Amino acid sequence: MSVSLRGAWRLPSVRLSLAVLAVVVALAVFGDWLSPLDPVAQNPAERLRGPSGGHLLGTDYLGRDVLSRLISGTGASVLGTLEAVGAGLVLGAVPGLVSVFFGRVYEWVAMRVADALLTLPFIIFAIAVAGVLGNGPHQAMLAIGVLLAPVFFRVTRASAIEFTRAQYVEAAELLGASRTRVVRTHVLGKVLPTIAVTTAGAAAASLLVVSSLSFLGIGVAPPAPTWGGVLASDLGFLHQQPLAPLAPALLIMITVGALNALADAVRDTTGVRADAVV
Amino acid sequence: MTSLIVPRPAWRAGTVARVARMARGTASLVTVLVVSTFVTYGLGALGGANPAAAVLGETATPQDIARMSHEFGLDRPFLVQYVTWLGDAVTGHLGRSWFTQLPVADSVVQGLKVDLSITVLAVALAVLIGGGAGLGAAVSDGGRFDRAVTAVCAVASTVPAFVFGIGLVVLFAVTIPLFPSGGYVPLDQDPVQWLRLIILPGVALSFDAAADIARQLRTSLVGALRQNYVTGAVVRGLSARRVLFRHALRNAAGPAITVVGLHVPRLIGGAVVTETVFALPGLGQLTREAALKHDVPVIQGALLVTIVIVLIANLAVNMVVARLHPGSSR
Repeated sequence: MSVSLRGAWRLPSVRLSLAVLAVVVALAVFGDWLSPLDPVAQNPAERLRGPSGGHLLGTDYLGRDVLSRLISGTGASVLGTLEAVGAGLVLGAVPGLVSVFFGRVYEWVAMRVADALLTLPFIIFAIAVAGVLGNGPHQAMLAIGVLLAPVFFRVTRASAIEFTRAQYVEAAELLGASRTRVVRTHVLGKVLPTIAVTTAGAAAASLLVVSSLSFLGIGVAPPAPTWGGVLASDLGFLHQQPLAPLAPALLIMITVGALNALADAVRDTTGVRADAVV
Repeated sequence: MTSLIVPRPAWRAGTVARVARMARGTASLVTVLVVSTFVTYGLGALGGANPAAAVLGETATPQDIARMSHEFGLDRPFLVQYVTWLGDAVTGHLGRSWFTQLPVADSVVQGLKVDLSITVLAVALAVLIGGGAGLGAAVSDGGRFDRAVTAVCAVASTVPAFVFGIGLVVLFAVTIPLFPSGGYVPLDQDPVQWLRLIILPGVALSFDAAADIARQLRTSLVGALRQNYVTGAVVRGLSARRVLFRHALRNAAGPAITVVGLHVPRLIGGAVVTETVFALPGLGQLTREAALKHDVPVIQGALLVTIVIVLIANLAVNMVVARLHPGSSR
């Protein structure tokens, strides 16, 4: 870990964001044990109830406990986000770093491919991929990862090239260090904060997309709960339960906000100039 | 002092540079279009879905599959299929749906009218609200209004457009019934009802872009207002308004306009989800229904049209930026 990333750790906003994210991850991992009631058990006698002692966040149109559905739905949202960001990181950051070895033809082609992928809107592309390759939990998320790749590629490449032109790199090369060694020991550590900022931003963006997709019913198997799915089931009953969307909406907002705050804090303390993720 | 540099004939250098730039731009655009359409068409082939299998399901016999593959031209080599599809697309034909046999182009145009209605409204609102907020924030630099705008922008960027949509429905359709909560009427049928129906989705969609525009405009305008030419203009006695709008804003608007361009794919994606909240029969519903049925030509057609819109929007943004700053276009 680079020194600059350690500096960010001292900021209160970073600690608060990390605490929020730790809670979310804990919910994702232990959701099935933590949820007070069965998230898929229907209870027709208690449909569309408001918050009460038995159901802290009320029940949905099938009488299912909303709190339990939100808690056990965390796993799908977090996993989907991690999958998308992980795919983007592997497909984008690694070629971006390696690309400093290659010439202008490679650059031109790679940039055009990146431009082409950036013209595809996340959600429509993810729906299309789910339509063609199957509506499973992984297809749509990996599609988002493919579209995140050009963002990682551009940012990593720009940053890597900047540091490859530094004088100490020139000095290392004059001393006979190989290109691989230069990238590994002198460039990678410097590029890391940029990748960190981009990863946090990409995670925030993917969580929004994953929530939108699960709201549309893409990448989810119906009775299983998701954050977006809870919102979708509230939609038909806004007249009876106008405040029902508040809890899932806040959950999404707080998590995305924590990721954004983390990205901003790392950007400010390290001085990297990574653009916000589209 | 005389210059030692021999001046080049300006018109010639300018023209050559402009032609070279246009050629480079066109080459990039064509490559981007070819790659993205190839991905779009390749996706369909990659899935290996077949019209007979999709329509008839388990009961499809090998003869059915062979017959329908031939009917839809899927028994030809992949590259031939791709080139034919792209050639047809240029002339406005996107094939027929495997299920309804209806021309894909017609369904896509139907859906597109809905999405363009709300997206254009959203862009207009985002530019107005975001531009106004960014301008005000930069002028009040560090003041109360500036801090309020920064806070609202930070919150706005955490809310997905569809959650805004649900909030607006709760506020302005359920609690205070000002607007209908959903549905769509074409513009040429009933313009007033059309406007009433697209206002809430348009507002919901505009928030995210408005926040980004405000943030970007604030940052670049604060920077511009600290430049020497601004001090110079003030010293020469120009009015504050003239300095702000004619000098600083003109130089600071570029990045904010670029943000509008970057937002177009996100707006179209957001429109797809917003459609669901407001029960609008748009491109998103079309794509989603096609996806659930594996209706590959419809999926491909919808994606192609989105790509073309995004490219047109990017081109328009580049032209506006180049007009504002003749020097910025390398």
